[in-house]
Amino acid sequence: MTAQIFAVIIFVAMFIMIVLDKIERHYVTLGSGILTLTVVFGICKHSWTSIWNTLAVKDFAKAEFWYATSESESKGINWATILFIAGMMIMVEGMAKAGFFRWLCMRIAFLVKCRTIPVFITFMLMSAVLSMFIDSITVIMFLAAVTIELANLLKFNPVPMILAEIFCANLGGSATMCGDPPNIIVGTSLGYSFFDFLSNTGLVAGISLVFSVVFFYFAFKKELVSDGGEKVDISKLPKPSEAITNKKDFIISSLIFALAVVLLITHAVTHLTVATIGLGIAVITILTSGKNTPEIMKKVDYKTLVFFIGLFIVVSGLEETGILELIAEFIEKISAGNTMAMIAIILWVSAVASAFVDNIPFAATMVPVIQSLSASTGVSLPTLAWTLSIGTDIGGSATPIGASANVVGTAVAAKNGHPISWGRYCKKLAPATVMVLAISTVYLFVRYL
Amino acid sequence: MGQIIISVGREFGSGGRVIAEALAKRFDLPIYDRHLILEIAEKTGLAPELIEKYNENPKHRLISRNVRGYSNSIEDNIAEMQFKFIEDKAASGESFVVVGRCSESKLRKYDCLVSLFVLGDMSEKIKRVMQVYDLSEEKAEELISKKDKKRKRYHNYHCTAHWGDSRLYDLCINSSRLGIDRTVDILEEYIRARAK
Repeated sequence: MTAQIFAVIIFVAMFIMIVLDKIERHYVTLGSGILTLTVVFGICKHSWTSIWNTLAVKDFAKAEFWYATSESESKGINWATILFIAGMMIMVEGMAKAGFFRWLCMRIAFLVKCRTIPVFITFMLMSAVLSMFIDSITVIMFLAAVTIELANLLKFNPVPMILAEIFCANLGGSATMCGDPPNIIVGTSLGYSFFDFLSNTGLVAGISLVFSVVFFYFAFKKELVSDGGEKVDISKLPKPSEAITNKKDFIISSLIFALAVVLLITHAVTHLTVATIGLGIAVITILTSGKNTPEIMKKVDYKTLVFFIGLFIVVSGLEETGILELIAEFIEKISAGNTMAMIAIILWVSAVASAFVDNIPFAATMVPVIQSLSASTGVSLPTLAWTLSIGTDIGGSATPIGASANVVGTAVAAKNGHPISWGRYCKKLAPATVMVLAISTVYLFVRYL
Repeated sequence: MGQIIISVGREFGSGGRVIAEALAKRFDLPIYDRHLILEIAEKTGLAPELIEKYNENPKHRLISRNVRGYSNSIEDNIAEMQFKFIEDKAASGESFVVVGRCSESKLRKYDCLVSLFVLGDMSEKIKRVMQVYDLSEEKAEELISKKDKKRKRYHNYHCTAHWGDSRLYDLCINSSRLGIDRTVDILEEYIRARAK
């Protein structure tokens, strides 16, 4: 009982401190993780086994951590998630350094002759597709910057385009296992593959993307009409090739990206785990980067990796003390064992929570909850997993603080003289979020019930 | 005289801004207060009223989030623009007077920085605010308290040291003791001594 109380106190305090943003969030989760290990497992439970299981360092020695022929679940610190995210961060830094993202944005803009509405539509699609493989922060960072550059040259308001790109990045991220951190956590914790996600969350993301493009077209059409009409002299615009800083690095980083995509799509066949893929991609990037390696390694977001480590420990505290089982029992009780109600509750509660708090700790906490719920009610675990992924990924689009891409997109806009208030953001993106959640509810009911 | 940067922190109603303007005039230096807003507005295309609205305002923590150094808070972004502006000016070798904007902390690395803090007796500040803003005594006191709380929160969020802490400034002076003009005289003398 004492261990349970302390586990809850640490978790709640951690969540409040993340929301208040007074101390950097990686210090908060790491401090909370250390407290969980010492107070909950050490002092209250006197259990070295719990500490050892939570640290999960023995995972590295297991063959299935690197090469998995069957689905395996992860407990404690999810090192596969951390290795994969670290590997992708290194790859993305290499691509950014070579000018890949800026080149791609400019290339697509030129393909549609830099006309505002076609740029608007293709950038939405590009945002969604890129976010399926690359973290949405990087996608939005480059896309928003190029959007502002184009807006200045073509004389249109970049805010609607940036808002639509943010939304599509979050939507695209929900389509695959590596698109959004909650999906990586769900996938690696429950042993699902890239293709599992693509054929379940990917399908509804694709349907929703069509509706979203139409929605944003009508919502922003008037605002996007450029001051000088549609005629644009594209010879005055910077050429896509100017974005490439080094041709050799550009080709190598593009090939590494292509390799990462192929490995991810085929990992259920090759049996290579995401940990192996992440590590492999990182090693290849480092080996091919030569003298640029220190610069690339310096830019890796280590704070996020530390944040994940601390978070996994705190969630283990809740799991090992049985708190998450209590939450699962509560959901079972209020849904009265009705699968439809269970899906609706998980989807909408995850979405609302993710609109206001970081969806990563929420997803990490909810994974053991849905495992427990599935075990006790017999409801298919994959169904609950897809529900949780969709809810956390999509819900984050509703407010400017719901997902990392939203913060980065609105910040890039503000820095360039286009501040986006909460009202401006929510006016169009909150209804779009509700629309996609409604589509997802119908999809989940029709496909899985 | 070589480069000199005069940073003026102030309590609301102490006459700090008027003192900063007088110093700028006596040393023939540009002053960045309202002008800073106009220059940023011109550079970014933002409306001056919008910058004014968020100027020296602390962000709302519950509706703001930071990700890898990016913030969705308009207050934060406006503040960062202003810090960058004064930093660029200082780095370019320009001499100027700057009012508030955490300048005593943000420009601390410059040896030519003279950081001042102007405070005042509450009774004198109330009189001044009543006169300038045409308010009742009660309303003036309320406004002073509100504005100073805001400045304190804004400063302490962006800097590690605390607003109004004497250790942060080269000189803290109570403008109520000698009045605005004599305070400016004393400060001028101090700045000239520093500039030698």
